[in-house]
Amino acid sequence: MATIRTRNRSREMLLRFAAYLTILVALILTLFPVYWIAANSFKFDIDIFAVPPEWLPRNPTLKHYDEAFVQRPFLRYALNSFLVAIGTTAISVTFGTMAGYALARFRYPWQWRKQISFWILSTRMMPPIVSIIPLYLFFNYFDMLNTKSALIIAYTAFNLPFATWMMKSYFQDLPVELEEAAIVDGDTRWGAFLHVALPLARPGLAATAIFCLIISWNEFLLSLIVTLTEQSQTLPIGIAGRVTQYATYWGEISAAGFMACVPIVIFAFIVQKHLVRGLSLGAVKG
Amino acid sequence: MASVRFDNVTKKFGEFVAVANFNIEIRDKEFLVLLGPSGCGKTTTMRMVAGLEEATSGDIYIDADRVNDVLPKYRDVAMVFQSYALYPHLTVEDNIGYPLKIRKVPPEEYTRRVAEVARRVELETMLKRLPKELSGGQRQRVALARAIVRTPRVFLMDEPLSNLDAKLRTQMRAELKHLQHELQVTTIYVTHDQIEAMTLAHRVAVMNKGVIEQLGTPREIYNDPRTLFVAGFIGSPSMNLIPGEVKDGVFASAGLRVGGAGRFNIPRAVLGVRPEDIHVASAEDPDTNLVAPIYSVELTGENTLVSLQLGGQLLAVRADKNFSGQIDQRVAVRIARDRMFLFDAETERRVDIQSNS
Repeated sequence: MATIRTRNRSREMLLRFAAYLTILVALILTLFPVYWIAANSFKFDIDIFAVPPEWLPRNPTLKHYDEAFVQRPFLRYALNSFLVAIGTTAISVTFGTMAGYALARFRYPWQWRKQISFWILSTRMMPPIVSIIPLYLFFNYFDMLNTKSALIIAYTAFNLPFATWMMKSYFQDLPVELEEAAIVDGDTRWGAFLHVALPLARPGLAATAIFCLIISWNEFLLSLIVTLTEQSQTLPIGIAGRVTQYATYWGEISAAGFMACVPIVIFAFIVQKHLVRGLSLGAVKG
Repeated sequence: MASVRFDNVTKKFGEFVAVANFNIEIRDKEFLVLLGPSGCGKTTTMRMVAGLEEATSGDIYIDADRVNDVLPKYRDVAMVFQSYALYPHLTVEDNIGYPLKIRKVPPEEYTRRVAEVARRVELETMLKRLPKELSGGQRQRVALARAIVRTPRVFLMDEPLSNLDAKLRTQMRAELKHLQHELQVTTIYVTHDQIEAMTLAHRVAVMNKGVIEQLGTPREIYNDPRTLFVAGFIGSPSMNLIPGEVKDGVFASAGLRVGGAGRFNIPRAVLGVRPEDIHVASAEDPDTNLVAPIYSVELTGENTLVSLQLGGQLLAVRADKNFSGQIDQRVAVRIARDRMFLFDAETERRVDIQSNS
């Protein structure tokens, strides 16, 4: 008789333990910086560099929040970041969705679907920094330096290829029969897109929106070059501005940095439930 | 209520010809089945009626209207997809009511009609559910309900039963047939299942490689196959097709000689005979055509399917349910002469032996 391997309980326990340990290490690696920023934002300057490190603020203070958001214009920066990110996300998702749908569904002569898709993606193949000087000259020419619109235009240009590709792949995953059924049922192509494809692509819309939001919320380099005024600068520039010739204001940087994480986390929580895939399960096949 | 007419319709995908010079007139209230193996162009043909594919050349008419350039929404056809294509984000009620909502039917009428159709397909208790909460058979009925909630000019059904289990399929087949009779709507039905075609159709169009091999009633198709393809495709188990040679009206192949082919001479011929037209005989019977060893015996319940080893191929014989032969035992069989067909292997067409004998 062949040897039959039985369940080995201790082996299974060990494997499970190893899995949790891996997760724990990954969590520490990703969450520690956030924790450290949060902790520092509530400490007095002298405690930030205490040796041994002060893991939890012994004398918590809101001093740095007052400095950043009351005495310095970080609220203004946050508002700028917010408007730019929302504008960029709205435009990128709208056009990315329509372009993605067109690339996923329409018929193209020869290999044009491939060529156009590739061309769209290829605009992202050079490092964005290469385009910064042309963009600066461009915005200067149109008198758009130091405006939020300039940032929205530039960020949309960066985000749109990705948004298009992401939505394209979501639409390609949807069974085409659903839209065909809508068309035969009496809907127009546009109606089938609106009533059937779009609601089913909701996870894709959520993912694409988060992606665009994070990219534009965090963007630094372009904003640094194109905006110089308080009315137009975004949070990352504001935060970087606290590294000055004479001192680095770690407390303010921590306070502003910690607050900068909050909106994205909230947004991610809101759209999370739409990210659940599998809504189209049960549409096709019995 | 409408007729559908194809006038020299050809559909190409690039260089591939999916449907070639297609001519057919589907009569008002007729149940026409397009039957063929996968890739024969039957689904493409149906999709051209729906407007989901454009004909490369030729004209398609619904009644007197040429519909080639008419958008699907104005063609007033309803379609049941093989996958059912239910909208996964809508409830059963909204799925069924979708065609009405698009046509802006007033709310009272909408509710009334959806309820009426739901009752007809026995889904009235399921109206608030999502498609993913339904069984395969229920989904199929939702798809059907969505098609009949308005009265379209033409019903199109693309293998609607192929995703159901065998028992449900038989039951839905009968329901479909009854429904079509009741609604009296012209129906085009695509399937690769010849039993479905035989049982449902008023007329069957057997398709192969983009052309109609034969168009006729199920009885004609079964009893009077015009081509080798139709002969082999229709019938379960399928017709025995034995290659050989005809000399002076006598068909001969390894181990088998059958007369009665008039005065024909066909160097490459195929003899076709259905399993039920071969009868087990005794070896002394003067009409015995063949004595061969049994390869397998399968009792199906109503009768016994016996396979005989004939040269390099098997000969299927439908014998009585009390047939008691064993494997390797030799049995004599007699072929019903008036029920055998002769095909020319070159042209793959049938040679009319009955009228020439």
